[in-house]
Amino acid sequence: MIRGAVFVVTLAVLPLLGLPHWVLNMLVFVLMFAALASAWNLVGGLTGYPSLGHAAFFGIGAYAFALLLHRQTEITDGWQPFAWLPAIGVGTALIGVPIAAIAMRTRADVFAIVTITLLFVVQTLAFNLHGLTGGAQGLSFPVAPFPADTFERPFYYVLLGLLVLAMLLTFGTLRSKVGLALATVRGDEDKARGLGIPVGGAKVLAFAVSVGLTAMVGAVWAYYQVGIIYPQFAVDPLVTIAMVLMVFLGGRGTLWGPVLGAFVLETGQQYLAYELGASQFYLIAYAMIFLLIMLFLPRGVLPSLAGRLR
Amino acid sequence: MSTNNRFWRAGLATGAALALAACSSGAAKTTKAAEAPLVIGASVSLTGDFADSGKAVKAGYELWADTVNAKGGVLGRTVQMKIVDDTSSPNQVVTNYQNLINKDKVDLVFGPFSSLLTVPSSQVAKRYGYAFLEPAGGGPAVFAQKLPNLFFVQPAPVVKQGDVFADWVLSLPAAQRPATAAYTELDDPFATPVAEDIRARFEAAGIRTVYKQVYPAETQDFSTIMTKVAAAKPDVLVGGTQSEDAYGQVKSLVQLKFSPKFMFLSNGANSPVEFPDKVGAANTAGIMSSGDWFPASKAHGSDEFAAAYVKKYGGTTDTIDNTSAEAYAAGQLVEEVAAKTGKIDNATVIATLHQGTWPTVLGDLSWDAVGQPSGSFALIQWQNGKLVPVYPAGVAQAQPVSPKPAWGG
Amino acid sequence: MHALVQGLILGVLTGGVYALMASGQTLVFGIMKVVNLAQGALVVLGAYLSYQLFVSYGIDPFLAIPVTAVVMFALGVGVHLAVLRPLRREDRAELSLLVTFAVALLIEGVIGVVWNTTRRSINTSYANDSWTVAGYQITVVRFAAFALSAAALGLLILLLHRTRFGRAVRATVQNPESARLLGVRAERVAALGFGLGAATAAAAGSVYGLLYPFNAGSHYDLISLLLSIVVLGGLGSIGGAIAGAMIISVSSAVVASTISPSWAPMTFFVLLLAVLLVRPQGLFGRPA
Repeated sequence: MIRGAVFVVTLAVLPLLGLPHWVLNMLVFVLMFAALASAWNLVGGLTGYPSLGHAAFFGIGAYAFALLLHRQTEITDGWQPFAWLPAIGVGTALIGVPIAAIAMRTRADVFAIVTITLLFVVQTLAFNLHGLTGGAQGLSFPVAPFPADTFERPFYYVLLGLLVLAMLLTFGTLRSKVGLALATVRGDEDKARGLGIPVGGAKVLAFAVSVGLTAMVGAVWAYYQVGIIYPQFAVDPLVTIAMVLMVFLGGRGTLWGPVLGAFVLETGQQYLAYELGASQFYLIAYAMIFLLIMLFLPRGVLPSLAGRLR
Repeated sequence: MSTNNRFWRAGLATGAALALAACSSGAAKTTKAAEAPLVIGASVSLTGDFADSGKAVKAGYELWADTVNAKGGVLGRTVQMKIVDDTSSPNQVVTNYQNLINKDKVDLVFGPFSSLLTVPSSQVAKRYGYAFLEPAGGGPAVFAQKLPNLFFVQPAPVVKQGDVFADWVLSLPAAQRPATAAYTELDDPFATPVAEDIRARFEAAGIRTVYKQVYPAETQDFSTIMTKVAAAKPDVLVGGTQSEDAYGQVKSLVQLKFSPKFMFLSNGANSPVEFPDKVGAANTAGIMSSGDWFPASKAHGSDEFAAAYVKKYGGTTDTIDNTSAEAYAAGQLVEEVAAKTGKIDNATVIATLHQGTWPTVLGDLSWDAVGQPSGSFALIQWQNGKLVPVYPAGVAQAQPVSPKPAWGG
Repeated sequence: MHALVQGLILGVLTGGVYALMASGQTLVFGIMKVVNLAQGALVVLGAYLSYQLFVSYGIDPFLAIPVTAVVMFALGVGVHLAVLRPLRREDRAELSLLVTFAVALLIEGVIGVVWNTTRRSINTSYANDSWTVAGYQITVVRFAAFALSAAALGLLILLLHRTRFGRAVRATVQNPESARLLGVRAERVAALGFGLGAATAAAAGSVYGLLYPFNAGSHYDLISLLLSIVVLGGLGSIGGAIAGAMIISVSSAVVASTISPSWAPMTFFVLLLAVLLVRPQGLFGRPA
């Protein structure tokens, strides 16, 4: 609890310290992925159902946001569009309920493939429903009117808020009856069902909340992407994979694992890709490190280290 | 530029460069010049979907820097290009321009490759008052932003790329004009608008549309579409194409043994090395496209550019990609602004380029208030295994050949 | 009508190639319960190997297959020993996804270093030849690719049914525990099975390289396709892979030719979702 408060307060004062824009920009992306990874963890980490389709909901959030602003010629109050976030989150969560109810009938590995399929269906729709999404030409909306000096701040604080929300939900779930139900789903679903634990409801609820959060982050991303979104970037499998890797790296089913994973991977990638440019060798080196982590820290950094220390 | 292709690319996106920390060799060393060097930053795609074109942009930027430094730099300042990779990702491109401007405090920035990445990066540049000379993002969305600091360094916006073909076809005597047309269009912001622009003009002139098909980026097999094209027997085929899809269309038509009388492909067919390699040199004969730089061009600094290119990168002047020439032209503009005003800073560049016309290897360029260039492309055609400008007369180096010869020459 | 039949022809011919690619993937899953995300990368690597043999020595991609298959078989066994075998059994199903993904990235990186990122294509003398049969157009390359894929699949099925190794594999797929009791050495079967999967990727790669241009990143296109095929057919079933490949290929070719290419990718995803709703284990899979 204290650790959490220190973490939030530290992050909350950071932008007020006069950090340069490039640092704040990087922190915006880090918070974005920390929130996404924490959201994914609610399903992938806590229930053990590895969704590969979360990018579809990220895209739904982004398109919902762009559509809401599309008709305006300019935004007078930059904070006002954030007011749509709760509606986007709840709406997407409701879309998630029937999808989860159907998709979670399958085994975990098949579920992964069903959800990635869903992702491509949504992406194809974004490309082909020209009337609604603008198709490959993109969907434009006005640029956020924040002054250049403090441009990053609103995005930063909204994303921090979403991260805290995701972490509170994780924390609450880990301590609650739902969390117990989910833990049993992850352990042995059939046994859990046999014991009369409401397995179905718990995992569907987890999925709905998770995709609702993801959609809200998608909406903020769209706003930060200044002015136009395209199907291949809004509904991007890369976003899903980033969430999965961050959670696996940090530690599945833990409160802090996804946050740690996001801080390490996102800063590492953004900063070093910039500093070191492109060399074909970096894929090889990256794959090697990736393999080593999987072979030697198979449960993620936090749980594995905790295991070693014990 | 497939979309599924981005699948699983998280390795790149979430930590690839972590690994590089171990094998990095330290930052570039700055040379001691009498004056501080003029540092110009640019983010281009060196990996990912746009990598091939990104490399051509990088080649052009660096060639210009070498050329200008050999002449003593800009206002006595040595030019240093800082080129970083955006892995074809919109998040990375935002970060890269943030870092170039606010971390490395570069003096100027040049644009990335593709309209998709140009929009977010030009907004970052505008936020900090940077001029945005960009040689590779000319889609409608770029100009819809109405940015005062943006200059698209090509003769005309992408939408107008096909105009020169329509101009030429409509200039033909009625008897030689095509009566029917087919349109095959890649679903993409740079490809569809070109073909649609030509279609609107052809239909207004009474050329009947017998077939039209938009296809998605991941299309690999063109036999289905081309079978229908062949069945419709159009006189002219207009392809709104990007690269691989242009090769696929040609190969498929060769297999079908259907050769239209006129064939225009917006992109891909203007690639001097890849196109003949992929479709077979003999099959290129008579295919048209549009371009802005050619070997033996009389435009400003063109000879110097061509000679320097061949010296630095090898090959012949016939193998130079237009994309490299466009990137090089962005550099020429910086040189000319400095020569004219005696100053080089972003406000000067923005204010100065909005007035007058500016000679480059692409010809004379000028812009409207939102950075749309007001010139036009040249019509180019494959003749005897080479790309030559054929229309308008001012730049033509040969007569257009029509109708297009049958496949195989 | 003409367009429909032309679409059917194309779909069947392409489906044969997909079936060959997917057979390796489903085989590996059957034996080890591992979803191999590197299968697409192995196919692309196979394409590059036969490209190199064609460019350097003028060896026809079809004739290069015995060479590339042996090389890739060895590579497959090596990959299994290096990265899959060390995984603990209880982690294997989940971690193998990430480990094989890392292998795919590794292969992509090596290809990028050796062959650059420019797209390649194998331009044989017959690349643009075609026949016209009753008004329908069939390209020589595509027909040959289909014939070769069918032959390779036939060989694979013979191998599984007529050899001791094949019987061991099938016993393992059916029931790993009883196979062990019968004296089947599971790890050895798994290593050889992974090698065999890689060898089929070599054959499929030669064919793929003849049909389409490819670069280091092409495996991203392949892997979602291959996953859809094996899940539709039923994980672990070769017959299912063939059926899944045909269904997916024919349905998307028909939609592309009769409705629009834009909706073709959607077709098989929707088909897959529909099948999984009714039969979560896929068409030919056994319930978990």
